Amino acid sequence: MNEPRILVFACRWCGLIGADAAGKKRISLPARFRVIPVECAALVETDAILRALAGGIDGVAILGCHIGGCRYNNANQTAIKRMELLKDLLDTTGIGSNRLLFSFGTAHEDYQFEEIIKNFFDELAVLSPLDPWLAPFGVIS
Amino acid sequence: MLEKTKDIAKQILEEKKAGGIFGLMRNRWNVVQPHMFEDPAELDALVLEPKWLLAKLAMSILRSSPENYKLAVVCRGCDERALIELIKRNQIEKERILTIGIACSQEQAAICLCDRPYPAKLDAGKKVSGVDPFQDERVREFLIGNDKKRMEKWATVLKRCIKCYGCRNSCPICVCEPCKLEDDIWVQRGAVPAEMITFHLIRAFHLSDTCVACGACQEACPVNIPLLYLQLSMRETLKEKYGYEAGLNPEVKSPILSVVFEEPDTDREYPAWINSLREKDGY
Repeated sequence: MNEPRILVFACRWCGLIGADAAGKKRISLPARFRVIPVECAALVETDAILRALAGGIDGVAILGCHIGGCRYNNANQTAIKRMELLKDLLDTTGIGSNRLLFSFGTAHEDYQFEEIIKNFFDELAVLSPLDPWLAPFGVIS
Repeated sequence: MLEKTKDIAKQILEEKKAGGIFGLMRNRWNVVQPHMFEDPAELDALVLEPKWLLAKLAMSILRSSPENYKLAVVCRGCDERALIELIKRNQIEKERILTIGIACSQEQAAICLCDRPYPAKLDAGKKVSGVDPFQDERVREFLIGNDKKRMEKWATVLKRCIKCYGCRNSCPICVCEPCKLEDDIWVQRGAVPAEMITFHLIRAFHLSDTCVACGACQEACPVNIPLLYLQLSMRETLKEKYGYEAGLNPEVKSPILSVVFEEPDTDREYPAWINSLREKDGY
């Protein structure tokens, strides 16, 4: 079976710096994930998550600041609610809410970043692929 | 019920509270169609069956009519909730719309899986109790079972999609211009069947907190995809966690627009936290 692929949306104030620090410290990480920096976790549209899943990505992680630590008027809290609703929709259709990870961290949490990504990979590895849902076109290779 | 509705409609027209009554009419070929009653003498032809959602049509009538024109709509529970959602989203002015609320029959409620088959402002008819959609055999078929089973079940029905956009066009609340479903970035155009995850789930999620469960999408669907079942669990979550139901109160905003701490106290679970004071961390 193929190794799962992960897309990480990291908020540039916290999650991204944590991810960066994990690299600087040479922590060994699984290779098949990509990080997309975003200004705030709340800027990640749910549509973008669905687009990624449709493109053949197995799991999407969104890393934001701690509750109370958001730079933008507690926007990460409205984002939680949206993600919870999306999880419901994913569960209904059988894609499974465990393909979506929403987590919070601060800039110095590089070990936590490693743990999150590794756990997420382990979780995704046992899931069946999304094949019946992927159309024969538009798959990111 | 029909007579009472006609009386109220006549009264509204005679007192000039509204410029027209928007409802269903049986025309001279014995076909039911939406009609704008502007003359009280016409009202004899008013009928209430079958279920026909008038909210979107009412919105387009209001947009193309002069600013001081008022409209009274003969509406069912779902129709009224759709109108309220449209008011909340600034598509209709509240002052320009009047409603004549009619209750649905028990049979209609069972067909629609409606948990609230009556409008908040009930003018004619008797309230009947709603149906719990999660107890229905048709719904359970789609929502029960493990992930793999559900995925296959949904894949078989969604594969039938011919991408007619009927679900979007018939939905009383789908009013965005431009629509993401017509954009190549999100949904590939010209591809049939529609990309399952993007087309169907983006559409379903955009209506997560506005869906009034009228069932117009699945009634419009030419290939019988049960699109309403996609919305049910999200509606249930909003109801359970935040006590919110779309279209009940024009003053209450959707909870996904507010932050967690502004919520009334509910036993909600916060998502996984990262403990920043872990010993493993070198700081």
